[in-house]
Formats: sequence, C-alpha cells, structure tokens
Amino acid sequence: MPIGKNNNLGSMRNVYLKYGTLISPIGNGINAHFNAFITNTSGLNWVDSIGFNKENLPLGKISIPENNSLQFMLNSACEALIKEHTSDRLNSPKTCFIISSTKADLSQLPNDTFEPLRTILKAHFPTSNEPIIISNACISGVVALNLAAQYIQSERYDDSFVIGIDAISDFVIYGFQSLFALSDEMCQPFDKTRKGINLGEACGIIHLTSRKEKAFCVEYVSGKTSNDANHISGPSRTGEGLFRAVSNALKEAEISATDIDFISAHGTGTIFNDDMESIAFNRLGMQGIPLNSMKGYFGHTLGAAGVIETLICMLSMEHSMLFKSLGFDEQGTPESLNILSENQEKKCQYVLKTASGFGGGNAVLILKSVR
Amino acid sequence: MKINTHSYLSQLGAAVNGKERYSFQENDNWTKELYVHLKLDYPKFHKMDGLSKMALLAVELIAEALPNQEITEEGLHLVFSNAGSSSDFDAKFINSYTELNMPSPSLFVYTLPNIVTGELAIKYKWYGESCFFIQKKFNASFFEEQLKFAFQKGASYCLCAWVEDHPLKTKECFVFLVENSTNLSLTEEVEKIYKQYKNE
Repeated sequence: MPIGKNNNLGSMRNVYLKYGTLISPIGNGINAHFNAFITNTSGLNWVDSIGFNKENLPLGKISIPENNSLQFMLNSACEALIKEHTSDRLNSPKTCFIISSTKADLSQLPNDTFEPLRTILKAHFPTSNEPIIISNACISGVVALNLAAQYIQSERYDDSFVIGIDAISDFVIYGFQSLFALSDEMCQPFDKTRKGINLGEACGIIHLTSRKEKAFCVEYVSGKTSNDANHISGPSRTGEGLFRAVSNALKEAEISATDIDFISAHGTGTIFNDDMESIAFNRLGMQGIPLNSMKGYFGHTLGAAGVIETLICMLSMEHSMLFKSLGFDEQGTPESLNILSENQEKKCQYVLKTASGFGGGNAVLILKSVR
Repeated sequence: MKINTHSYLSQLGAAVNGKERYSFQENDNWTKELYVHLKLDYPKFHKMDGLSKMALLAVELIAEALPNQEITEEGLHLVFSNAGSSSDFDAKFINSYTELNMPSPSLFVYTLPNIVTGELAIKYKWYGESCFFIQKKFNASFFEEQLKFAFQKGASYCLCAWVEDHPLKTKECFVFLVENSTNLSLTEEVEKIYKQYKNE
C-alpha cells in the first residue's frame, strides 16, 4: 500500500525557503537582481566570435578577469553564506549541501568533473557533510530543492543549502548549436518569432530550513517529477510529463490548479519546448494564470536555472510584483497563455515553478506565502 | 522495504540474483553480444551511450520480476547513481569538435547522466519520479536514504542502479529492484550483494 499525503505527511514538519545568494551576469547578490528585474534589465550581452563558426552570440556570461567562472561563482557564493550564517550552522552535522549542476568543471576530464565543486565546499566548510550532487539536466535545480525539502521534513537535516551552478563552455555552446537549438538573437520565450535559447551562467543558493525566524521566507508546499517517456532530446507533444508532475504536485498540496497565482515556467525559447508548455498548461486549465519565463534575463543556465528562477519567484512573493517575461511580444504557441507583457503588482499566495529538460524530465514545486 | 531481485553486468559477464547468466566471448563488443543473446529487438539500443546500453541490459535481465504496467507507470521510482557522470560521451563529443571539426548532435544528447533514466522511461513507459546522483563511490546507505524518501512519496517499487562507463573506472552496472514492505534496513544486504558481484 503506497504511503500518501493523507496518512503520513500530516505529521511532517514545515519547510521554509530563505534567500541564499545569487551570482549572475546581472550582478552579485539578491538586491542587485531585484533592481534588474524591476527595471526589466537583462544580463544577456553580445559576445564576439564565440560560436563554433566564430559567430557573435548573445550570452549571459559573467565578466571576470579569471578564466574559470565556475570556481569564481562558487567561491563568491560560499563567501556570501559565511557572511550570513554562523560557522557552527554551516559545518553542522544537521546541515547538508546539495549541488545541482549538469556539467560542473569539464576542464578536469578525464578526471572527475564534479570534484572541484566538492573541493571548494570543503575549503569553505571544512567539517561539513559530503555534498549531495544531482545531475538531471535542466530540471536539476527543482529536483534538488524538492530533495532538500524532504531532508528537512523527515528531520534528517535541519538546514539545507541548495546550490545551483553551471558555467558557459565551448562544449555546451557547440552542443546546442549542433542541435540547432541556439538562437543567434536575444531569446524570445513563448514569442511567435522565437528561434531558440541563449546560454547563461550563474550560481544561486537557497537555504531550506525548519525554522521560520524573522528573515523573509516562503513555505514549501509540494514538489514532483515525471518523465515524458517519449524522447531523450525533445519534449512530449502532449506535455505529458509536465502535466503529470503538476497534477501530482497539486494533489499533494490539496489545492486546485486555479489556486496558483503565478507560474514561473521553464520557457527556454525553443519552438518545441514552449509549444509543449502551452499544451500542458492548457490541459491543466492554467492558461489564465500570469506566467513568465526568466530566460530573457539570465539565458538558460541549465543546472542553475531551477534554483535561480525560484529565488526570483521569492522576490515576486516578497514584493508582490510579477516580472515581465522579457523577449515576449506576440503569442506564438499552439495554445494561448497569460504571459506577462509588463510587470504586474500582485499578491501571491501560491506560486508554481516548473522545469523540463533533456532525458524527458519534468520537475515542479509549489511555494506558499507566509503571513 | 525488501530487495525483490537484482542483476549485475561488467565486461566479464552478466548475473541475476547472484547466479551467472552469461559469460562474454568478446571483450570489445560485449554489450551487443548480450543484446543478441537476450534476443532483444530494440534498434535504438545501437545508438545509445554505454551507460544506457548497460542499464537497459541489466533491466532486461530482471524484466520478469518487474510488476505490471499499471503499477510501474507512476508507482516505480528510479534512483540512479555513478561517480563518472557521462564522461565517456563527454570525451567523445569533445573529440567530435576538436579533432573531427564537426560537433556531433547524436553524441551531445548523451552528455548527461540522466539520459539513462530517460531511455528506460521511454522503453518501459515509466512516468514516475527519477533522480540521478553523482557519488564518489558506490554508497549503499545513500541508496537506502533515497529509498525511504521514494516510499514516503508514494512509490510502490523502486529501481536502484549504480552504472559506470568511465575510461578510468570499471565499466559495470548493478541494478536492484526494491519493494515497499516491512521497514527493515537494506544497507548491509545491498553492500554484501554488490561486493559479491565484484568478488571483493
């Protein structure tokens, strides 16, 4: 007999999400990102001769003197955590770090590409638990947040820091070019003339905890993943996995689709992905709910995306402000959606974050405002 | 929770529930050899990376033990792990643009470890929860922790796998199917089974 919400989860303790930090081409820290989103300022910039055939491409690339932006981002993020939290908490046996990344540090091949991330964490938090590493393509960040919530709910850990990180490399640029999935213009998620993704790099951290305390926080409600069982590199035509993941998350939350006040969609800007999402959200009866994609601000940051976009959802909830879906002008999906063409003031009780990616994965989570 | 059935394969051979089922004749094309031996008819197999091929074969070896489609559709969760991520195809894709001057899309799509779970989901029509973890080495207690979560989340069965295809490591795949029954610890049993397969 499967154990479901009704007979078991009732006894589980609440989980709260708090800001960690966010480093992206937009800036360093949560406030810098609020200022950029409220003024609809993108972190994407044109970079010369970066494509396989030396094309100029828009990228969300951090400008730093060092060569290795992965190490720079992770070190900066860890330093930000040290400023905010006591060493006891960061190094506690009741604290865990969960890393969400697709490619980590490819320069290490043939050695372990994830080892540099472990080494950096160990240097900053010497007695901390071995980090848990999740690599599930573009849904990694949302999957990592859902796992962190389970660790807190089950009382295995009291605090969990979810680190979403990926850096731009020739590898991913050439790879997405080879699939004809990379746009040579600024990306336009859900728009009629969209041509594909722009790549970005970022590192975001969310702190999940059992303690509400005084800092701003939101409550974790539920989260699910589901596979399309259809294709490894293209989304389902019917939005099957996304439909199932959202349905199951709503069921666990014991709320209905229209209780959701805002959807932070995946919205990569490829024809197939955005079409799929429009179909899934219509099947769910969610076409009227305000929705955006944040890829026009960050580009697609792969393993970091779920974490950094959830951080921006938290900003929307704190400031009762939904942000414009940058790059969107005219409906261009088979089913219509309520895409935010301007910033919109709105108090949100429930927010849905979704992600879909290679391997046919879909992951979603639902957050709730804390009064 | 209880281990229902398990299988293991490496370049030496394939085994189910601790008993040898096949011993390879060739070293180079051993996954294809087992594919032929099992009389599989799934042409997509030949395009897959090593991780997906090994996992698919290991699951085929225990296919009879899988519950029916009604249960597996969403009630089977996947917990997969390795140490080397997708490094074999990472290196092959890099070679396609550095040496052959043509980034290969068919290699690029396999440069993520979770493609394995995607391939299995497609083959067997599994829509349930899945996650791929990168661990320093095989860790039975970590699997147990994830199993507890899966059963709390409503799984009826869980398919766990340790699958490695890395130039510097042993190519191997160990899968074990776990059912949600009495709440006993599995860590020691899983550790023991894995060591026996490896002759440690």
